[in-house]
Amino acid sequence: MDYRNAFAISASGMDVEKTRLDVTAVNLANIHSTRGPDGTVFRPLHVTSVEASGSFSNQFEQLAGAQLHGAQVASVEASDVAPHKVYDPGNPDADEKGFVTLPGVNQVTEMVNMATALRAYEANVVALNAAKTMALKALELGGSQ
Amino acid sequence: MLGSTEAVTVEMVRMALDATSLRHQAIANNIANINTKGYAPARVDFEQQMSAVRQALDAGQPVTHEMLSGIQPVLQRDQVVSDEDRTSSLDTESANLAQNTVQYEALLKALGKHFAILGSAISEGKR
Repeated sequence: MDYRNAFAISASGMDVEKTRLDVTAVNLANIHSTRGPDGTVFRPLHVTSVEASGSFSNQFEQLAGAQLHGAQVASVEASDVAPHKVYDPGNPDADEKGFVTLPGVNQVTEMVNMATALRAYEANVVALNAAKTMALKALELGGSQ
Repeated sequence: MLGSTEAVTVEMVRMALDATSLRHQAIANNIANINTKGYAPARVDFEQQMSAVRQALDAGQPVTHEMLSGIQPVLQRDQVVSDEDRTSSLDTESANLAQNTVQYEALLKALGKHFAILGSAISEGKR
């Protein structure tokens, strides 16, 4: 049992899902941010993941038979969701008509993304534990029956 | 008893363990890419290649090394799953994972029992 590759695959999946959770947290944290550090309004971030193709060392392992590398984050991009305006004349960032621009973060979308990422993360943990159980069982071979 | 059957049994279980191990990696890869768009799920083909062995056993013939040569677990790719079908794949993969783990442990158990029989023969049945 090549448990190292199995662990690496599940770990890469956990890494991707954790990034997804982080990005969801950033989006939710900025749900009421009226302006970012550069003065413009925050744009919701979106994670794209791809199947990992393998670095040079991975390609070396490929010669040794390992062909699967798990997943990796392709990019974290700001999505083009239109910001919405809220009437709040007391806000220092309000324009001359009293409207404040808030980022187009959709709370429902973010919650769904969070739940999906959480379940996927858990599934990766289950796969990792299964690999551990299998490797440990293999160690018992030849012991007392 | 320690003739060709012995070597063939261990060889077959070894190949099945290799196949199950590779299948675990394929399932882990599918789970890691559960939210990846345009991902083609990985599968492992092994049991179909064993049809010659099964036919021989059904006909009461012994399994020979020639039947086993060239058999090895092969990594295959499914068609790319459309996004509508993605939600159902996580539970399917989890079920496959559980089944695969049990199969791996069953194979190990069988191999352990096989070695225990050999051990019993070596100790002339005394324990």
